[in-house]
Amino acid sequence: MIRRARPLTGVVLGLAVSGCGSRGHAQATLAQADSLARVGEYRAAIEAYRGLSRRESSWQATRMLASSLQAIGDYAGADQALRSAIEDSVPDAHQLWSALGEVLTRQGRNAEAREAFERAVAGGAADRLSAEVNLAIASVGRGELDAATRQFDAFIDVYNRGAARTAADVAAVARAVRYLGRTDPQLYKDALRAYDEAVALDPLDFDLQVEIGNLFLEKYRSDEATTSFNAILERNPNHADAILGLARVKHFDGSSEAFALVQRSLGINPNLVGARVFLARLYIDLEDFASAASEAERALAVNPRAVDALAMWAAARYLAHDSAGFAQARDSALGIDPRNAAFFNTLAELAARNRLYQRAVDFAGEAVRLDSLAWRGYALRGLNRLRTGAIAEGRRDLETAFTGDPYDLWTKNTLDLLDVVGQYVEVRSPRFQLVLDPKEAELVRLYLEPLAEEAYDSLAARYGVRPLAPIRVEVYPRHADFSVRTIGLAGLGALGVSFGPVIAMDAPSARPPGEFHWGATFWHELAHTFHMTASGHRVPRWFTEGLAVLEERRARPGWGDDVTPGFLIAFREGQLAPVSNLNQGFMRPAYPEQVIYSYYQSSLVFELIEQEYGFGAVRQMLAAYRDGVETPDVFRTVLRVEPTAFDQTFTSFLETRFASALAALRHGTGDHAAPGREGIGRRVSSDTTDFVAQLGLGRTLFAEGRLEEALVPLRRAKALFPEYLGSNSPRWFLGQVYLAQGQLDQAAAELIDLTTRNAKHYPALQALAEIEAERGNPERAAGALESLMFVYPYDIARHRTLADHARAVGARTIELRERRAVLALDPVDRPQALYQLARAYRDVGDRGAARRTVLEALEQAPNYQDALDLLLELQATRGRRTE
Amino acid sequence: MIRAMLVAAAITMPLATLPAQTHLVIVAGLGGEARYRDMFHGWALELIDAATERYGVPAENVTYLGESVTRDTVRIAARATVENIERTLTDLAMRAAPKAQVMMVLIGHGSARDGEPKINLPGPDLTAAHLARLLDAFPTQTIVVANLASASGDFIPALSGPRRAIITATKSGRERNQARFGKFFVDAFAGGQADVDHDEIVSLLEAFTYARREVARTYSQEGTLLAEHALLDDNGDKTGSYEPDPTTTDGALARTIALGYREAGPSARDPELMALYEKKRVIEQAIAALQRDKGRLDATAYEQQLEAMLLDLAATNKTIRDREDGTP
Repeated sequence: MIRRARPLTGVVLGLAVSGCGSRGHAQATLAQADSLARVGEYRAAIEAYRGLSRRESSWQATRMLASSLQAIGDYAGADQALRSAIEDSVPDAHQLWSALGEVLTRQGRNAEAREAFERAVAGGAADRLSAEVNLAIASVGRGELDAATRQFDAFIDVYNRGAARTAADVAAVARAVRYLGRTDPQLYKDALRAYDEAVALDPLDFDLQVEIGNLFLEKYRSDEATTSFNAILERNPNHADAILGLARVKHFDGSSEAFALVQRSLGINPNLVGARVFLARLYIDLEDFASAASEAERALAVNPRAVDALAMWAAARYLAHDSAGFAQARDSALGIDPRNAAFFNTLAELAARNRLYQRAVDFAGEAVRLDSLAWRGYALRGLNRLRTGAIAEGRRDLETAFTGDPYDLWTKNTLDLLDVVGQYVEVRSPRFQLVLDPKEAELVRLYLEPLAEEAYDSLAARYGVRPLAPIRVEVYPRHADFSVRTIGLAGLGALGVSFGPVIAMDAPSARPPGEFHWGATFWHELAHTFHMTASGHRVPRWFTEGLAVLEERRARPGWGDDVTPGFLIAFREGQLAPVSNLNQGFMRPAYPEQVIYSYYQSSLVFELIEQEYGFGAVRQMLAAYRDGVETPDVFRTVLRVEPTAFDQTFTSFLETRFASALAALRHGTGDHAAPGREGIGRRVSSDTTDFVAQLGLGRTLFAEGRLEEALVPLRRAKALFPEYLGSNSPRWFLGQVYLAQGQLDQAAAELIDLTTRNAKHYPALQALAEIEAERGNPERAAGALESLMFVYPYDIARHRTLADHARAVGARTIELRERRAVLALDPVDRPQALYQLARAYRDVGDRGAARRTVLEALEQAPNYQDALDLLLELQATRGRRTE
Repeated sequence: MIRAMLVAAAITMPLATLPAQTHLVIVAGLGGEARYRDMFHGWALELIDAATERYGVPAENVTYLGESVTRDTVRIAARATVENIERTLTDLAMRAAPKAQVMMVLIGHGSARDGEPKINLPGPDLTAAHLARLLDAFPTQTIVVANLASASGDFIPALSGPRRAIITATKSGRERNQARFGKFFVDAFAGGQADVDHDEIVSLLEAFTYARREVARTYSQEGTLLAEHALLDDNGDKTGSYEPDPTTTDGALARTIALGYREAGPSARDPELMALYEKKRVIEQAIAALQRDKGRLDATAYEQQLEAMLLDLAATNKTIRDREDGTP
């Protein structure tokens, strides 16, 4: 990997030469101006340089003046300063041509810039190597890649001859070698070595150090990049490019700080094209395509030939369904640089971020068509091919990408993952291709297969669309593998993801027992697939997430998220995003819990829409998105309501729906844990309508074993906030109190009430199953155990119990499934499990399977009398049939 | 139960070699806390009940040395001190038949400080080396030592030898947490779930395998790393196996050992029954031979032949049962 840059040597910024003679005085002033520039006091520095240049006409001062003007985005001023000096024929004015070329490049005046660089070279300027490398970079920008490669190659000879002596020369070599890295990835290491050498020669050249940071980031080393940018900002907190670099690092690391940083960067240099482009990208992440386009336009106003800005503008137009605008941007970009793979890579990346995975494949395909060394293009096409289910093709792309860019951790991780997935087994059902770890495939398929088919039928009926089969469902027992499948790295907090034709999710075993309702997660992800199908993959994030949570609730009683005290308090305190801007709650949360709250909040939006307009309206909204209508107009055209008016309606809806709970939470902070014995006592006595206090007291009394006393506050808490069904729900404690008192009927009633509203409550389901069995209700006990399997299906004893209950009530199919589950869990007594399975096969009329299975049991335990009897019975039946 | 004891050996467990006499010595050491004292005593009683009631070990062949005699004056013969252990084993060595089976179950907390594996007892602890010396008094008998204590793994090198099956709850003295293995080992005999070949006898190998796997299952369900690894050594090589294989490592002796007696078989006064048993034995041998040839046979042919043999076995067993039950 790329090694770390050497730490900067000490930089002295103070004025060390005061008190010198007249020449010394002039140098001191120059040093002062330089110092001001280097600590980011650009305006003061500009003033100092201007005074200095008038007196001395020094070309160095002019160049530094131009640099400071550029730092605050005054490119015209920099241009003018340089030209004036050249025209005034200051001594050694030819030394300024290269700087002028750079200023012109920033404004997209490429022909003039080329001429300036050529004059620098022809004039033998001290920085002619910089000019030469800029000419080569300009060749890249015109799509003359072969010519550029030859030009860059020459720098290696320059370096090897020892002709690069100054920091600027060595930096020019570093840039050239960096460009050559695409032909040989090992050259990136040489580039870094050259950058290090240049920094050693001029530790105060922060622009150089920005390049190092950018190189680290380009090679996926956000840690090293952070170190580089922070080192600059410690000395110059106003270095706009370093701040931008840091913003990119934050974005890379998934931090929402990126937004503030890029704004800060633009506050210093409002004409920093890279910052405008990056800001546009952030807006696209927020699905705010209008703002993204606006930022891209501002960038293009500075530099109309900035292909990265054109790419962002094209992406914004494409995502906003403006095909004409998109085509115009594409043609402009290709007119400037007909081989600009990065343009299409950007489109691919942003298309994928907006769930347009097939389009991402197409865009990335364009990138590699234009430039066969566009490794990023192969990586993007590969990743998105995997997302669309083209596994073999995706793998080939990733392998190609990895040969050209072995630093790409995403590609490496994904290739490693594909090796793991290669060992998985594939199970086909009519509409699904389940890809399962062989260690648990036999178990998981028993539940996932029928659930998937049921979900497909249910959602197809609701949405009136039928996604193309088979839908590939990958189930990962290691969460890290799921995470890599989704984002290329470990550490994703999500449980599942839908790419449309491909769903990936955590296996039930990926999380501790009881923490994860895998059934609801699958249903949620499949709902996304339907939303993408219905909207042509154009559905906004908030819309599909909320609707998918609603679908969870529609799937089974008790599935899906429930209201929490924290959510209601956030609502009361105005901390929920308005519906008209709900994407912010997902994409740019103001506080950590906002994403979770936004899921539930958006699900309620659809409850309201379904209630007020019928589910047909939801379908119409999805169709409107498909047709390119933006969210505000979707509300206007389908619901015939202004988005802001809907915000009001939704607020009223919440106020009405949770009126009782909101009143009971008026004292609360959202922390419904027991707030201390004394505090509880005070609160309970002062107000009997305080939910937090009542629940806290009930829990405390329960913990102290004062069961009868606990009943009163727990019942009150339940009445105050009946919708609260979380792990510490009053119902749960009431159920436990009744159970401890031996009041099984009441305990069962509480737990039924709880689990039919919250089927994720694993301990409640366990308790209920046991209570119902004890009460002699095998059917209800079986019901509780059946629910439990969608939370954690790995407890072999529960499968045995469910099988027995099912047998007791004549539920033969369930018994058969459960006997298979027992066998899948590799019981110690395998012959017995096989025998019981054989018996279950017999009972559902599958005598062939019964015979094969009982033979397998007897193969392991030939004297197993029950199994021998069953074999005899099956033989007798077969004999009778033959007769 | 009677019928169970009459069931002939399955091919996977040659119980024909079972000795006719079993002695059981249970030592429950210091519990330290009430919950452990209760637990250890409970395990001991469960095992005694299983041995005497389920597997027919005569009560006089069972000796239970507990932490405190006052806890259960009927069942606990004496305090579990080194002295009483010495006395019990010395006495047993004198009265045990040459081919008898002596099973010693150690329950409690273990330790291995200073490289000396031991189990904590009231008074001085019992070390592995001391126990090894005591067991030398049984030169011809089959010896089973099941040390269910934590940190018990190092008992294997000390006790390993011919005609000995040594089980430890952990693989070394470093696995010091309270071992879960003991509970499942006792369950294996008391509950019968470990009888995986369904010959209605739980062999020592079955009990070990059952307990080992149940321990692993509990850790897996909790999502935690397995913190104890039980071992079995019965080939005398001083090295225990976590997953014994009678054909290659350990288990060959343990699968022939059961907790209790096996009845002698059919009455010699009923030649017809004897013939049936002989027929049964022949069928079992044929099934075993067929299984050995499985890899060389076509799958369908194998299945058909196996089915035919099993049907023959089923019919024979039924005839035996009917005759023994007096059904015409």
